[in-house]
Amino acid sequence: MAKTVFVKDTAITGKDRTRDFYGFFLGGLREKGLENDVQLVRVADIGVYGQGMVVRVLPEDFLYVNVQDSDIPAVITESVIGGKPIKDKLFTQASKQARIVLRNCGVIDPESIEDYIARDGYQALAKVLGEYTPEKTAQEIKASGLRGRGGAGFPTGMKWEITRKAPGDQKYMICNGDEGDPGAYMDRSVLEGDPHSVVEGMIIGGYAIGASKGYFYIRAEYPLAIARIEKAIEQCRKHGILGEGILGSSFNFDLEIRLGAGAFVCGEETALIASIEGKRGYPSPRPPFPSIKGLWGKPTCINNVETLANIPVIILKGGSWFAGIGTEGSKGTKVFAVTGKVKNSGLVEVPMGTTIEDIVYGICGGALSGKSVKAIQTGGPSGGVIPKEYFQTKVDYESLQKMGSIMGSGGMIVMDEDDCMADIAKFYLGFCVDESCGKCAPCRIGGTQMLRLLKKVTDGEGTRKDLDQLEQISFAMQKASLCGLGQTAPNPVLSTLHYYRSEYEAHVDKKKCPACKCEKLIRFLIMSEKCVKCGMCFKACPVGAISGNRESGYLIDQTKCVRCGQCFEVCKPRAISRS
Amino acid sequence: MAKITRKDLEALKQKHTGEDRNWIRVGFSTCGIAAGAQEVYDTLVEESRKHNADVEIKKCGCVGMCSAEPLVEVHVKNMPTVFYGKVDKEVATKIMEKHVCGKMLVNDRIYDMRLS
Amino acid sequence: MDKAVIEQEVREIADSWKGKEGNLIMVLHQIQNRYGYVPREVSLVLSEILDVPLARIYEVITFYHFFRLTPPGKHTISVCMGTACYLKGGAEILGELEHLLCVKPGETTKDGQFHLEVVRCLGCCGLAPVVKIGEKVYGGVKKKDVGDIITQYSEDSEAKTAA
Repeated sequence: MAKTVFVKDTAITGKDRTRDFYGFFLGGLREKGLENDVQLVRVADIGVYGQGMVVRVLPEDFLYVNVQDSDIPAVITESVIGGKPIKDKLFTQASKQARIVLRNCGVIDPESIEDYIARDGYQALAKVLGEYTPEKTAQEIKASGLRGRGGAGFPTGMKWEITRKAPGDQKYMICNGDEGDPGAYMDRSVLEGDPHSVVEGMIIGGYAIGASKGYFYIRAEYPLAIARIEKAIEQCRKHGILGEGILGSSFNFDLEIRLGAGAFVCGEETALIASIEGKRGYPSPRPPFPSIKGLWGKPTCINNVETLANIPVIILKGGSWFAGIGTEGSKGTKVFAVTGKVKNSGLVEVPMGTTIEDIVYGICGGALSGKSVKAIQTGGPSGGVIPKEYFQTKVDYESLQKMGSIMGSGGMIVMDEDDCMADIAKFYLGFCVDESCGKCAPCRIGGTQMLRLLKKVTDGEGTRKDLDQLEQISFAMQKASLCGLGQTAPNPVLSTLHYYRSEYEAHVDKKKCPACKCEKLIRFLIMSEKCVKCGMCFKACPVGAISGNRESGYLIDQTKCVRCGQCFEVCKPRAISRS
Repeated sequence: MAKITRKDLEALKQKHTGEDRNWIRVGFSTCGIAAGAQEVYDTLVEESRKHNADVEIKKCGCVGMCSAEPLVEVHVKNMPTVFYGKVDKEVATKIMEKHVCGKMLVNDRIYDMRLS
Repeated sequence: MDKAVIEQEVREIADSWKGKEGNLIMVLHQIQNRYGYVPREVSLVLSEILDVPLARIYEVITFYHFFRLTPPGKHTISVCMGTACYLKGGAEILGELEHLLCVKPGETTKDGQFHLEVVRCLGCCGLAPVVKIGEKVYGGVKKKDVGDIITQYSEDSEAKTAA
């Protein structure tokens, strides 16, 4: 490979010095007469943040951080020409992503089965059909310690074993692709980017539990994912990977797609089954668990997309290999969709046990410019928040639960100082109230009442008693609701109340929103000492709440103000205060 | 193709791996398409025809850097394999002209690289 | 709509799913794809063809957000209110759309041009806030861009009718 040098200043001070630095570096190369032999490239991002100027020398891949102009000659002579590292400047990236689930995403053409086969595709299926009994297959997954990636974390191997042992001539395999968590899209990416690995996971699962039929249940909101799975199934049928006598063996298995129709509760196993049966997606009490009595009353195994995408790799590399990754109780990797107020939002796959700090700062680059991160939220409407102070927490099932949140399906929402915790709790609860199926009273009535109380709080009409009542209803809902949706719906409220009680108290006692988010509690004022009397705010106000003229200055009539914030946005000298 | 057995699987794998070719992968997931991947793909195809470039252009899934979509990964022999982010028509043209044909990396647009 | 035509069309859709258990939701998906919503006349015909009580069909339609009982506007504007979009100003975008179109979510403008709706996560969180019009997704939408985006569609339709 030709000599190449990447330079990047990630602007520790917010100032971009790359151009100067690039110039200096180019000058240094010219001095040595290397400008034609070495390619110097200015990059937009290099994956290292808050470390000043970063230089990467290729092909040796020496990574230097906090490089000063004065270091340039040494880097050029030692590393670029000499091909040796400067030891004390060398930087090793703290946290590396590990790609198991996303191994093929962005690498293969998802619509080409040949591409998948070229990357060891369907080798695991061949191995299982040729060498393993169904018992051994489930054993291997059990040995790997893989737990369900849909949220609750039930051991996958055990689920397979229970379903296999359950009495019944007909059994079903279901892939839960009803990714309803707002702010999570790992499953969509896997279905779109590597559909065959999920299909392969399904066939192996079907073999292990003794099913001859499987269903993909996918959200109708994901048309591309549906199209790609459809294509994958079609290709498999053509190549004898689905149907009768798979890969020349005596195993028969076929797959069908069923679409969701926009009901969050259908992510719950029993509701999902009802939906596949063509009925309203009402959950039903468990037990009996679906593994014993599921789809059309037959033993049914439901696995999440991400869980299934892990299966082929585990079979090929062995359960003990997988068990070597991660922590004591949580094995393997987890894909997170890191979104919200973060510099690089996107999908991140890390070994279990990586700290939140490494994910948010190390991989995703921390907060948006000029802001600071306040907390993260995991587990969607069933999860909770984790404040910045606890970012050393490791991500695994147990640690997150201890923090009052859950692993969930893998959404990780980053919030900054502008986000009000009471408002976030209201948002999530509003979601659960919308999505509650209405079958059981604790969820239907409790949710509505909690939402009413939260609205009171964010409108500045709440009292301390309301906060206590919020907690009481939460506990009742957790205990008495029929399904996971209702049992976990109060989690965002409880966890924000736990960590940010003072913020709630500011709302009820002082009638103030510390984050300036709750509309009814904000007040815009013109600071006359800073005002240049330009009249921009006067023009911008949509309701005519601003009066005055260019001589006397302007005033906001608080009774007319609708707190839209337009005046605040247009004011160039920042003479309007928001409090 | 007829139904395949385990042996065919191995043969197929061998057939599709091997020689080092120049390639470009364009992220074609929902997020990439929403950010304009189709236009980038079309531009790349058109430019490669114009330059008669020896490069295979492929549609792929999402690598996960959603904030940098549309994302294009470029592999040219004897050069580092890199990701270009926030690619538009102009950058796509440059990638073909400078990177693929001129063997020069394009400044300011590289977001990451694949280490292997 | 002519009953004979409907019957013909619905029968075609239903036949492809005949004999498969739990096919009602899939049939309804195809009906909505065909008509844009599930008209009452169609449900009546479907009830006969599938031999399913009308109440059962309505039970399902009304449970799932995805199914519509009224015709959509010419362009459906879906504002994403997933968590990422909400945090990044989705509510503001929705407010601006309500203001510009003079409708609330779930309503269609008087001229039938635009149907405004709120969706929970389109899965493009990296591009938040996101608005989808028809099949096109707009990412990183700012409040001030909303007007321009809408105008494209109204002009587009005006130009087409003029031509």
